[in-house]
Amino acid sequence: MNACVVAIILAVYAVYVIRLVVVLPWLGGRRVGHARGPLKLFVFLGSGGHTGEMLRILENYEATLLKGTLHIGYSDEVTRTKFEEFAKRYEIRAVYYQFKKAREVNASLVSSAKSIVATLYTSFMHVVRIRSAMAGSPHLVLFNGPGTCCILALWFKVLELVVLWQDSSNIVYVESLARVRSLSLTGKILYYLADLFVVQWADLQQRYPRSSCYSILT
Amino acid sequence: MTSKTLFVTCGATVPFPKLIECVLMESFAQELLNSGFKKMIVQFGKGYQRSFTALLGRRYSDDPVYPSNDLGYDGKPVHGYMASGQLEIIGIEYSTRIQNVIAEYADLVISHAGTGSILDSLRLGKPLIVCVNDTLMDNHQQQIADKFEAANYLIACLPKENEIVECFHRLQRKRMTPFPQAYNENFRQTLVTLAYGPANLKS
Repeated sequence: MNACVVAIILAVYAVYVIRLVVVLPWLGGRRVGHARGPLKLFVFLGSGGHTGEMLRILENYEATLLKGTLHIGYSDEVTRTKFEEFAKRYEIRAVYYQFKKAREVNASLVSSAKSIVATLYTSFMHVVRIRSAMAGSPHLVLFNGPGTCCILALWFKVLELVVLWQDSSNIVYVESLARVRSLSLTGKILYYLADLFVVQWADLQQRYPRSSCYSILT
Repeated sequence: MTSKTLFVTCGATVPFPKLIECVLMESFAQELLNSGFKKMIVQFGKGYQRSFTALLGRRYSDDPVYPSNDLGYDGKPVHGYMASGQLEIIGIEYSTRIQNVIAEYADLVISHAGTGSILDSLRLGKPLIVCVNDTLMDNHQQQIADKFEAANYLIACLPKENEIVECFHRLQRKRMTPFPQAYNENFRQTLVTLAYGPANLKS
Protein backbone atom coordinates (compact mmCIF):
# COMPACT_ATOMS: atom_id res chain seq x y z
CA MET A 1 0.00 0.00 0.00
CA ASN A 2 2.72 2.43 1.07
CA ALA A 3 4.89 1.44 -1.83
CA CYS A 4 1.95 2.13 -4.15
CA VAL A 5 1.48 5.68 -2.77
CA VAL A 6 5.20 6.36 -3.04
CA ALA A 7 5.18 5.09 -6.62
CA ILE A 8 2.29 7.39 -7.53
CA ILE A 9 3.95 10.39 -5.90
CA LEU A 10 7.19 9.62 -7.70
CA ALA A 11 5.38 9.23 -11.01
CA VAL A 12 3.58 12.57 -10.62
CA TYR A 13 6.84 14.15 -9.53
CA ALA A 14 8.61 12.75 -12.59
CA VAL A 15 5.87 14.02 -14.90
CA TYR A 16 6.17 17.54 -13.53
CA VAL A 17 9.96 17.55 -13.63
CA ILE A 18 9.80 16.54 -17.28
CA ARG A 19 7.07 19.13 -17.83
CA LEU A 20 9.18 21.82 -16.19
CA VAL A 21 12.10 21.00 -18.47
CA VAL A 22 9.82 21.20 -21.48
CA VAL A 23 8.09 24.40 -20.35
CA LEU A 24 11.14 26.45 -19.43
CA PRO A 25 12.91 27.36 -22.64
CA TRP A 26 16.38 27.52 -21.09
CA LEU A 27 16.12 24.02 -19.57
CA GLY A 28 14.86 22.17 -22.62
CA GLY A 29 14.59 22.76 -26.32
CA ARG A 30 12.14 25.20 -27.83
CA ARG A 31 8.84 23.52 -28.63
CA VAL A 32 7.02 24.38 -31.80
CA GLY A 33 3.30 24.33 -32.45
CA HIS A 34 1.59 22.26 -35.11
CA ALA A 35 -1.73 24.02 -35.24
CA ARG A 36 -3.58 25.35 -38.28
CA GLY A 37 -5.95 28.23 -38.85
CA PRO A 38 -5.63 31.98 -38.33
CA LEU A 39 -3.04 33.24 -35.86
CA LYS A 40 -4.22 34.26 -32.41
CA LEU A 41 -2.07 36.90 -30.85
CA PHE A 42 -1.87 38.34 -27.36
CA VAL A 43 -0.05 41.65 -27.08
CA PHE A 44 0.56 43.62 -23.91
CA LEU A 45 0.74 47.37 -24.45
CA GLY A 46 2.71 49.29 -21.85
CA SER A 47 2.54 53.06 -21.68
CA GLY A 48 4.19 55.59 -24.03
CA GLY A 49 7.38 54.30 -25.63
CA HIS A 50 6.56 50.62 -25.09
CA THR A 51 3.31 50.97 -27.05
CA GLY A 52 5.08 53.00 -29.73
CA GLU A 53 7.64 50.27 -30.34
CA MET A 54 5.03 47.51 -30.22
CA LEU A 55 2.79 49.22 -32.80
CA ARG A 56 5.81 49.59 -35.10
CA ILE A 57 6.51 45.85 -34.84
CA LEU A 58 2.85 45.02 -35.56
CA GLU A 59 2.90 47.36 -38.58
CA ASN A 60 6.15 46.00 -39.96
CA TYR A 61 4.97 42.37 -39.71
CA GLU A 62 1.38 43.18 -40.58
CA ALA A 63 0.97 40.34 -43.08
CA THR A 64 2.01 37.77 -40.44
CA LEU A 65 0.71 39.27 -37.20
CA LEU A 66 -2.48 41.14 -38.07
CA LYS A 67 -4.45 38.29 -39.62
CA GLY A 68 -6.65 36.86 -36.89
CA THR A 69 -8.09 38.06 -33.59
CA LEU A 70 -5.88 40.20 -31.38
CA HIS A 71 -6.09 39.94 -27.62
CA ILE A 72 -4.90 43.24 -26.18
CA GLY A 73 -3.69 43.76 -22.61
CA TYR A 74 -3.36 47.35 -21.35
CA SER A 75 -3.23 49.36 -18.10
CA ASP A 76 -4.33 52.89 -18.98
CA GLU A 77 -7.18 54.25 -21.08
CA VAL A 78 -4.90 56.48 -23.20
CA THR A 79 -3.14 53.39 -24.51
CA ARG A 80 -6.44 51.66 -25.22
CA THR A 81 -7.73 54.66 -27.19
CA LYS A 82 -4.48 54.75 -29.13
CA PHE A 83 -4.82 51.10 -30.04
CA GLU A 84 -8.48 51.47 -31.01
CA GLU A 85 -7.41 54.01 -33.64
CA PHE A 86 -4.70 51.62 -34.83
CA ALA A 87 -7.22 48.74 -34.96
CA LYS A 88 -9.59 50.84 -37.05
CA ARG A 89 -6.85 51.66 -39.53
CA TYR A 90 -5.87 48.00 -39.97
CA GLU A 91 -9.41 46.61 -39.60
CA ILE A 92 -8.40 44.42 -36.67
CA ARG A 93 -10.82 42.57 -34.44
CA ALA A 94 -9.57 43.09 -30.90
CA VAL A 95 -10.54 41.77 -27.46
CA TYR A 96 -9.38 43.99 -24.58
CA TYR A 97 -8.15 43.01 -21.10
CA GLN A 98 -7.39 45.68 -18.54
CA PHE A 99 -4.57 44.95 -16.11
CA LYS A 100 -4.06 47.05 -13.02
CA LYS A 101 -0.62 48.38 -12.27
CA ALA A 102 0.96 46.45 -9.43
CA ARG A 103 1.72 49.50 -7.30
CA GLU A 104 0.32 52.98 -6.78
CA VAL A 105 2.70 55.68 -5.60
CA ASN A 106 2.44 56.64 -1.88
CA ALA A 107 0.26 53.67 -0.97
CA SER A 108 0.54 52.32 2.59
CA LEU A 109 2.07 48.90 3.20
CA VAL A 110 -1.27 47.19 3.85
CA SER A 111 -3.02 48.72 0.87
CA SER A 112 0.05 47.97 -1.27
CA ALA A 113 -0.06 44.33 -0.25
CA LYS A 114 -3.81 44.23 -0.90
CA SER A 115 -3.45 45.78 -4.34
CA ILE A 116 -0.62 43.41 -5.25
CA VAL A 117 -2.73 40.39 -4.32
CA ALA A 118 -5.68 41.84 -6.25
CA THR A 119 -3.44 42.45 -9.27
CA LEU A 120 -2.07 38.91 -9.13
CA TYR A 121 -5.58 37.50 -8.98
CA THR A 122 -7.14 39.56 -11.80
CA SER A 123 -4.12 39.04 -14.03
CA PHE A 124 -4.27 35.29 -13.39
CA MET A 125 -7.95 35.19 -14.39
CA HIS A 126 -7.20 37.18 -17.55
CA VAL A 127 -4.34 34.85 -18.49
CA VAL A 128 -6.61 31.82 -17.98
CA ARG A 129 -9.14 33.39 -20.38
CA ILE A 130 -6.51 34.35 -22.93
CA ARG A 131 -4.89 30.92 -22.90
CA SER A 132 -8.16 29.09 -23.34
CA ALA A 133 -9.11 31.47 -26.18
CA MET A 134 -5.85 30.62 -27.93
CA ALA A 135 -5.74 26.87 -27.19
CA GLY A 136 -5.62 24.63 -30.25
CA SER A 137 -4.89 27.52 -32.63
CA PRO A 138 -1.55 28.84 -33.79
CA HIS A 139 -0.70 31.53 -31.30
CA LEU A 140 1.92 33.97 -30.06
CA VAL A 141 2.29 36.12 -26.96
CA LEU A 142 4.16 39.35 -27.64
CA PHE A 143 5.80 41.37 -24.84
CA ASN A 144 8.20 44.31 -24.78
CA GLY A 145 7.79 45.62 -21.23
CA PRO A 146 6.99 47.06 -18.71
CA GLY A 147 7.07 45.15 -15.37
CA THR A 148 3.50 43.85 -15.62
CA CYS A 149 4.77 41.54 -18.38
CA CYS A 150 6.80 39.61 -15.78
CA ILE A 151 3.65 38.71 -13.85
CA LEU A 152 1.83 37.79 -17.06
CA ALA A 153 4.72 35.66 -18.34
CA LEU A 154 4.87 33.88 -14.99
CA TRP A 155 1.16 33.03 -15.11
CA PHE A 156 1.45 31.82 -18.70
CA LYS A 157 4.29 29.49 -17.70
CA VAL A 158 2.57 28.29 -14.50
CA LEU A 159 -0.53 27.35 -16.51
CA GLU A 160 1.61 25.67 -19.12
CA LEU A 161 3.30 23.66 -16.36
CA VAL A 162 0.11 22.62 -14.58
CA VAL A 163 -2.34 22.10 -17.46
CA LEU A 164 -0.60 19.19 -19.15
CA TRP A 165 -2.83 18.96 -22.23
CA GLN A 166 -2.41 22.60 -23.29
CA ASP A 167 0.33 23.65 -25.66
CA SER A 168 3.28 26.01 -25.33
CA SER A 169 2.71 29.68 -24.50
CA ASN A 170 4.99 30.85 -27.35
CA ILE A 171 6.11 33.97 -25.50
CA VAL A 172 8.15 36.39 -27.61
CA TYR A 173 9.94 39.21 -25.81
CA VAL A 174 11.46 42.06 -27.79
CA GLU A 175 13.82 44.25 -25.77
CA SER A 176 13.52 48.00 -26.33
CA LEU A 177 15.70 49.63 -28.96
CA ALA A 178 16.79 52.01 -26.20
CA ARG A 179 18.69 49.17 -24.51
CA VAL A 180 22.11 49.24 -26.15
CA ARG A 181 24.48 47.77 -23.56
CA SER A 182 22.35 46.07 -20.91
CA LEU A 183 18.94 44.49 -20.52
CA SER A 184 16.06 46.23 -18.74
CA LEU A 185 14.89 44.72 -15.45
CA THR A 186 11.89 43.19 -17.23
CA GLY A 187 14.28 41.83 -19.86
CA LYS A 188 16.49 40.22 -17.22
CA ILE A 189 13.49 38.33 -15.81
CA LEU A 190 11.87 37.48 -19.14
CA TYR A 191 15.25 36.12 -20.33
CA TYR A 192 14.40 32.98 -18.34
CA LEU A 193 10.71 32.79 -19.27
CA ALA A 194 10.36 33.84 -22.92
CA ASP A 195 10.35 31.16 -25.60
CA LEU A 196 11.97 33.61 -27.99
CA PHE A 197 14.07 36.43 -26.53
CA VAL A 198 14.96 39.18 -28.99
CA VAL A 199 17.33 42.13 -28.62
CA GLN A 200 17.79 44.82 -31.26
CA TRP A 201 21.55 45.42 -31.05
CA ALA A 202 24.15 42.79 -32.06
CA ASP A 203 26.52 43.73 -29.18
CA LEU A 204 23.81 43.03 -26.66
CA GLN A 205 23.06 39.67 -28.30
CA GLN A 206 26.67 38.59 -27.75
CA ARG A 207 26.38 39.23 -24.04
CA TYR A 208 23.23 37.12 -23.75
CA PRO A 209 23.74 33.81 -25.60
CA ARG A 210 20.08 32.74 -25.37
CA SER A 211 18.92 35.89 -27.15
CA SER A 212 18.38 36.39 -30.87
CA CYS A 213 19.04 39.54 -32.86
CA TYR A 214 17.38 40.47 -36.14
CA SER A 215 18.76 44.01 -36.21
CA ILE A 216 16.31 46.89 -35.66
CA LEU A 217 12.72 45.62 -35.80
CA THR A 218 10.88 48.78 -34.78
CA MET B 1 16.01 78.85 -53.55
CA THR B 2 12.89 77.02 -52.40
CA SER B 3 11.53 77.70 -48.93
CA LYS B 4 12.35 74.93 -46.46
CA THR B 5 10.89 73.99 -43.07
CA LEU B 6 12.72 72.81 -39.95
CA PHE B 7 10.86 70.62 -37.47
CA VAL B 8 12.08 70.59 -33.87
CA THR B 9 10.78 68.11 -31.29
CA CYS B 10 11.57 67.58 -27.61
CA GLY B 11 9.47 64.48 -27.16
CA ALA B 12 6.11 64.51 -25.45
CA THR B 13 7.05 63.43 -21.91
CA VAL B 14 9.96 65.48 -20.56
CA PRO B 15 10.55 69.15 -21.46
CA PHE B 16 13.94 69.99 -22.91
CA PRO B 17 14.40 73.78 -22.42
CA LYS B 18 18.06 73.84 -23.46
CA LEU B 19 17.24 72.58 -26.94
CA ILE B 20 14.45 75.14 -27.38
CA GLU B 21 16.70 77.96 -26.21
CA CYS B 22 19.34 76.92 -28.77
CA VAL B 23 17.01 76.83 -31.76
CA LEU B 24 15.43 80.17 -30.81
CA MET B 25 18.77 82.05 -30.89
CA GLU B 26 18.90 84.89 -33.42
CA SER B 27 22.24 83.63 -34.73
CA PHE B 28 20.77 80.18 -35.44
CA ALA B 29 17.78 81.78 -37.15
CA GLN B 30 20.25 83.58 -39.41
CA GLU B 31 21.99 80.28 -40.23
CA LEU B 32 18.63 78.78 -41.18
CA LEU B 33 17.80 81.72 -43.47
CA ASN B 34 21.17 81.46 -45.18
CA SER B 35 20.38 77.84 -46.06
CA GLY B 36 16.90 78.59 -47.41
CA PHE B 37 14.79 77.75 -44.36
CA LYS B 38 11.81 80.09 -43.99
CA LYS B 39 9.75 78.23 -41.40
CA MET B 40 10.30 76.38 -38.13
CA ILE B 41 7.73 74.17 -36.39
CA VAL B 42 8.55 73.40 -32.76
CA GLN B 43 6.88 70.72 -30.65
CA PHE B 44 7.98 72.00 -27.26
CA GLY B 45 6.16 69.58 -24.94
CA LYS B 46 3.33 69.92 -22.45
CA GLY B 47 3.58 72.67 -19.83
CA TYR B 48 6.20 74.72 -21.68
CA GLN B 49 3.95 77.13 -23.60
CA ARG B 50 4.53 80.14 -21.33
CA SER B 51 8.32 79.80 -21.44
CA PHE B 52 8.25 79.26 -25.18
CA THR B 53 6.20 82.41 -25.73
CA ALA B 54 8.58 84.37 -23.49
CA LEU B 55 11.61 83.13 -25.42
CA LEU B 56 10.00 84.11 -28.69
CA GLY B 57 9.46 87.63 -27.38
CA ARG B 58 6.23 88.48 -29.13
CA ARG B 59 3.26 86.35 -30.05
CA TYR B 60 1.24 87.09 -33.18
CA SER B 61 -2.49 86.53 -33.37
CA ASP B 62 -2.69 85.92 -37.12
CA ASP B 63 -2.91 82.35 -38.36
CA PRO B 64 0.30 80.48 -39.20
CA VAL B 65 0.83 78.99 -42.68
CA TYR B 66 0.02 75.51 -41.45
CA PRO B 67 -3.47 75.02 -39.98
CA SER B 68 -3.63 73.51 -36.44
CA ASN B 69 -5.67 70.66 -37.80
CA ASP B 70 -2.83 69.53 -40.06
CA LEU B 71 -0.39 69.90 -37.20
CA GLY B 72 -2.44 67.53 -35.04
CA TYR B 73 -2.85 70.13 -32.29
CA ASP B 74 -6.26 71.15 -30.97
CA GLY B 75 -5.12 74.36 -29.28
CA LYS B 76 -3.96 77.62 -30.83
CA PRO B 77 -0.28 77.42 -31.82
CA VAL B 78 2.22 79.99 -30.57
CA HIS B 79 2.98 82.04 -33.65
CA GLY B 80 5.85 84.46 -34.17
CA TYR B 81 8.73 85.59 -36.34
CA MET B 82 12.49 85.82 -36.03
CA ALA B 83 15.31 87.32 -38.09
CA SER B 84 13.41 90.56 -38.86
CA GLY B 85 10.26 88.74 -39.81
CA GLN B 86 11.88 86.46 -42.38
CA LEU B 87 11.66 83.22 -40.37
CA GLU B 88 8.19 82.11 -39.33
CA ILE B 89 7.94 80.20 -36.03
CA ILE B 90 5.03 77.91 -35.15
CA GLY B 91 5.10 76.39 -31.68
CA ILE B 92 2.81 73.58 -30.50
CA GLU B 93 2.64 71.69 -27.21
CA TYR B 94 2.23 68.31 -28.83
CA SER B 95 1.12 66.73 -32.08
CA THR B 96 -1.19 63.74 -32.36
CA ARG B 97 -0.05 63.16 -35.94
CA ILE B 98 3.65 63.83 -35.68
CA GLN B 99 4.55 61.36 -38.44
CA ASN B 100 2.28 63.21 -40.88
CA VAL B 101 3.77 66.56 -39.87
CA ILE B 102 7.30 65.27 -40.46
CA ALA B 103 6.33 63.56 -43.73
CA GLU B 104 4.47 66.54 -45.18
CA TYR B 105 6.39 69.57 -43.94
CA ALA B 106 9.88 68.79 -42.62
CA ASP B 107 13.01 69.19 -44.74
CA LEU B 108 15.17 68.72 -41.66
CA VAL B 109 14.44 67.44 -38.14
CA ILE B 110 16.22 68.41 -34.92
CA SER B 111 15.09 66.12 -32.13
CA HIS B 112 15.91 64.89 -28.65
CA ALA B 113 17.57 61.45 -28.66
CA GLY B 114 14.49 59.39 -27.79
CA THR B 115 14.09 56.26 -29.90
CA GLY B 116 10.52 57.16 -30.89
CA SER B 117 11.50 60.53 -32.37
CA ILE B 118 14.63 59.12 -34.02
CA LEU B 119 12.64 56.35 -35.72
CA ASP B 120 9.85 58.74 -36.78
CA SER B 121 12.36 60.85 -38.73
CA LEU B 122 14.63 58.14 -40.11
CA ARG B 123 11.76 55.89 -41.24
CA LEU B 124 10.47 58.87 -43.25
CA GLY B 125 13.92 59.41 -44.75
CA LYS B 126 14.42 62.89 -43.27
CA PRO B 127 17.86 64.31 -42.42
CA LEU B 128 18.20 64.32 -38.64
CA ILE B 129 20.23 66.10 -35.99
CA VAL B 130 19.82 64.56 -32.57
CA CYS B 131 20.41 66.53 -29.40
CA VAL B 132 21.24 64.47 -26.31
CA ASN B 133 19.48 65.55 -23.14
CA ASP B 134 22.41 65.18 -20.75
CA THR B 135 20.41 66.23 -17.70
CA LEU B 136 18.21 63.12 -17.57
CA MET B 137 18.90 60.56 -14.87
CA ASP B 138 19.61 56.97 -15.86
CA ASN B 139 18.80 57.46 -19.49
CA HIS B 140 20.31 55.88 -22.53
CA GLN B 141 20.08 58.84 -24.90
CA GLN B 142 23.84 59.18 -25.28
CA GLN B 143 24.28 55.46 -25.99
CA ILE B 144 21.49 55.45 -28.56
CA ALA B 145 22.77 58.62 -30.24
CA ASP B 146 26.31 57.15 -30.42
CA LYS B 147 25.02 53.93 -31.99
CA PHE B 148 23.01 55.70 -34.68
CA GLU B 149 25.78 58.20 -35.36
CA ALA B 150 28.39 55.45 -35.67
CA ALA B 151 26.19 53.89 -38.37
CA ASN B 152 26.05 57.31 -40.10
CA TYR B 153 22.24 57.51 -39.93
CA LEU B 154 22.25 60.88 -38.14
CA ILE B 155 24.41 63.56 -36.56
CA ALA B 156 24.43 63.86 -32.76
CA CYS B 157 25.37 66.68 -30.43
CA LEU B 158 24.76 68.25 -27.03
CA PRO B 159 22.29 71.13 -26.53
CA LYS B 160 24.84 73.88 -27.09
CA GLU B 161 24.28 76.51 -29.73
CA ASN B 162 27.71 76.27 -31.36
CA GLU B 163 27.40 72.47 -31.57
CA ILE B 164 23.98 72.65 -33.20
CA VAL B 165 25.19 75.21 -35.73
CA GLU B 166 28.26 73.07 -36.45
CA CYS B 167 26.05 69.97 -36.96
CA PHE B 168 23.76 71.98 -39.18
CA HIS B 169 26.73 72.91 -41.41
CA ARG B 170 28.06 69.35 -41.37
CA LEU B 171 24.70 67.93 -42.41
CA GLN B 172 24.58 70.18 -45.51
CA ARG B 173 27.85 68.67 -46.74
CA LYS B 174 27.61 65.09 -45.53
CA ARG B 175 26.01 62.13 -47.25
CA MET B 176 24.06 60.08 -44.71
CA THR B 177 23.51 56.33 -44.95
CA PRO B 178 19.87 55.46 -45.68
CA PHE B 179 18.16 53.81 -42.72
CA PRO B 180 17.48 50.11 -43.45
CA GLN B 181 14.00 48.57 -43.51
CA ALA B 182 12.69 47.17 -40.23
CA TYR B 183 11.37 44.12 -42.03
CA ASN B 184 13.49 41.03 -41.40
CA GLU B 185 12.48 37.80 -43.14
CA ASN B 186 14.34 35.63 -40.59
CA PHE B 187 12.38 37.17 -37.76
CA ARG B 188 9.10 36.58 -39.62
CA GLN B 189 10.02 32.94 -40.27
CA THR B 190 10.98 32.41 -36.62
CA LEU B 191 7.61 33.80 -35.50
CA VAL B 192 5.73 31.60 -37.98
CA THR B 193 7.70 28.51 -36.91
CA LEU B 194 6.96 29.23 -33.27
CA ALA B 195 3.25 29.76 -33.87
CA TYR B 196 2.44 27.20 -36.59
CA GLY B 197 5.27 24.66 -36.54
CA PRO B 198 7.99 24.16 -39.17
CA ALA B 199 5.67 22.45 -41.68
CA ASN B 200 3.71 25.68 -42.21
CA LEU B 201 6.61 27.97 -42.92
CA LYS B 202 5.22 29.08 -46.25
CA SER B 203 2.06 30.57 -44.81
